[in-house]
Amino acid sequence: MKRQLIAAVGVAAMVVGLAACGSDGKSDDSKSGSSSAAKNFDGKTLTVWLMDGSAPKGWEDSVKADFTAAYPGAKLDIQTQKWNGIGQKVTAALSEGSVDVLEIGNTQTAGYAATGGLMDITKDKANVGGADWAANLNESSTLDGKQYAAPWYFTNRVVTYNKDIWGKAGITTAPKTLDEFYADLDKVKTVQGVTDPLYMPGQEWYAYFGLLTSEGGKFAKKDGDKWAGGLSSPEAQKAFETYKKLQSYSATAPKDKDEATPQQKDVFAKGNIGTIIGLGWEIPKPEELSADKIGYFPLPGKTADKPSSVFLGGSNLAIAQQTKNPELAKGFLKIAMSDKNEGLMAGAGLIPNKTSLNSQVVGDFAKAALPASANGATTPNVPTWSNVENEPNPIKDFLTAALTGDYAAAAKKADDEIAKRLNQKQ
Amino acid sequence: MAVHSQRVQTQSPEPGMTAVAVTDEIATTGAERTPKKGRRPADGRSLGARSAPYLLLLPAIAATVFLLGWPLLKIAVVSFQNLNKRQFIQHLTEWNGFANYTEQLGSSEFWTITLRTVVFTAVNVVLIMVFGSLIGLLLDRLGKRMRLALSVALLLAWAMPIVAATTVYTWLFDQHYGVVNWFLDKLGWHSMADFSWTSGEYSTFFVVILLIVWQSIPFVAFNTYAGLTTIPKELYEAARMDGAGSFKVFGSVIFPILKPFFLATTFLEVIWVFKSFTQVYLINKGGPDGLTRTLPVHAFLEGFGAQRFGVGSAIAVLTILMLSLLMAYYFRIILKQEDEL
Repeated sequence: MKRQLIAAVGVAAMVVGLAACGSDGKSDDSKSGSSSAAKNFDGKTLTVWLMDGSAPKGWEDSVKADFTAAYPGAKLDIQTQKWNGIGQKVTAALSEGSVDVLEIGNTQTAGYAATGGLMDITKDKANVGGADWAANLNESSTLDGKQYAAPWYFTNRVVTYNKDIWGKAGITTAPKTLDEFYADLDKVKTVQGVTDPLYMPGQEWYAYFGLLTSEGGKFAKKDGDKWAGGLSSPEAQKAFETYKKLQSYSATAPKDKDEATPQQKDVFAKGNIGTIIGLGWEIPKPEELSADKIGYFPLPGKTADKPSSVFLGGSNLAIAQQTKNPELAKGFLKIAMSDKNEGLMAGAGLIPNKTSLNSQVVGDFAKAALPASANGATTPNVPTWSNVENEPNPIKDFLTAALTGDYAAAAKKADDEIAKRLNQKQ
Repeated sequence: MAVHSQRVQTQSPEPGMTAVAVTDEIATTGAERTPKKGRRPADGRSLGARSAPYLLLLPAIAATVFLLGWPLLKIAVVSFQNLNKRQFIQHLTEWNGFANYTEQLGSSEFWTITLRTVVFTAVNVVLIMVFGSLIGLLLDRLGKRMRLALSVALLLAWAMPIVAATTVYTWLFDQHYGVVNWFLDKLGWHSMADFSWTSGEYSTFFVVILLIVWQSIPFVAFNTYAGLTTIPKELYEAARMDGAGSFKVFGSVIFPILKPFFLATTFLEVIWVFKSFTQVYLINKGGPDGLTRTLPVHAFLEGFGAQRFGVGSAIAVLTILMLSLLMAYYFRIILKQEDEL
């Protein structure tokens, strides 16, 4: 405490010095603005929570430098949080007011917005650089037409293939349509030693989500003031036919498990799997299968004009309603969302929040992910959505049931469960 | 055993576990009641001397009320509230009546989990009692040196903190680097080389049960051994003279004498296993697909995982009620026995 006080006094003295320098300078109008800002924020600390592994190398330093330049005297305290048990931690922090700005997963944002824990920044959207955020990326930051967060970074799943195996099958170019993809998989099937042309466990619901979005369907739709499940719709059934066809190329993948049990990257590492559909970090260790043996392309659509839709995973940055430094928090958001700092996210192989930065995206995976992200979507923007994803996830059970039995019955059961969970009292 | 380290483990405001621990306290106070029974006739001692025992009890009672009674009360109160993220963040209190309870009692998931917990407890307790008693009998027969070696081994297993033991087991049964899979592979069981123990309901339960049984055996073994030392050797000799074999000796001599001990130990194990949270949760978080959720894990996942604190509390209260019913049965037997004596 005492040391902090001394530091604050020291910083204050420096700032007064700076302000003094500024006042005897020439252009009074702009400088006086920044110096009065500096005075306001003397000794204030902005606490920011980021998730483990989110901010790429150099991002934190860059943001800190910009922050210090814009708000001399204020301290930026960036804390990295572990994913394990983060929900309870965020709830507690929003309740106590112990955090100013925090990273929230995009499927969780609406839920926290509805709790009243996040600040409504609709009026500040343009100021923090939100005028040209991609609409589909920004959607998860909004609820009922209001802006509660800033979209930070995104990623999505692409087809990840073993170059050796595809080479042996005699395939030289990536497929442009689903039919071409099926034809390629049939060729891969004939390669000696390949067990699965495509390894896709029955409960890979993110893949199904992409196909569903391509058909124009949704997991849930609002019916009056109640939510209803959307799996019984004709769009959902059409998407499922594609899903079933793709899954039929998986000889060894379990129909009643998701891609994490076992981790599909570990299965892929064995070298007898032609293809998986996965995220950028779902690749084997280099000593198991080296990176130059792995290729990527977006999952093709029914026609060649655009790839299949995808589930957009990602994170948003939100301001806590109880923050004591709203101005600093908004200033931080503006800095984090600047082209320079958002460009660093693109440079790390993530998809940035606006298309104008897409040219800065780096890496084979990210370049394959980018075209698919353009027509990607997130889960229905409902505060109670996270209830649906709580295990046992009814969508996963539905996929297993529909793959092994009657579609209509499975869809009806899942729709009832989805509706029950979405309409749960808040 | 399990209970002590577990209580330390759940110092965090974890309503389900703390509250369930209360039932143990009831068990202990119940056991302590025995010596008090021979009531002293009111003599002419001063008020101070007569109240001394109560004054001496006061710190223990105060600590119990503070550490166990208060969380229990909080849980009971919260279980009648609709307390989710929103209410928590905005500091709202919304009374809900019995809605949390009716929701649970009307859901098939709750009853599936309850049944699973009961079966899980039964399997564990039977294994613990059988193997614990056998090792206790072994301790009695072993020579001095081997007895010491076995006792030390048991003590070490007993002294190991639950979280540490669970971590060791997750590594033993790791899919790729686990020594168990390696060993099974070396034995010629090659399909087990990369077997994922946590992918299936039964294989996960196998690991959890092995862990809990391993941790609980020392307590039963030591108690059996301690009980056995109180049986006069002449009784065995007499039985042998009458031509009794080992099983007959156990059935006619050891078991009747140690019956109160077996009863108490079985009930303690039932409580400890029924509410064992750490092992089940740490091995696979109640997965895959919630198939190894037991009641305490369910209370935690609903309360903290899904952030429906009211619902989680209601599940915890229901768990306490179930254990209380069990304990009522136990007390009935104990009281009956006391009457017989």
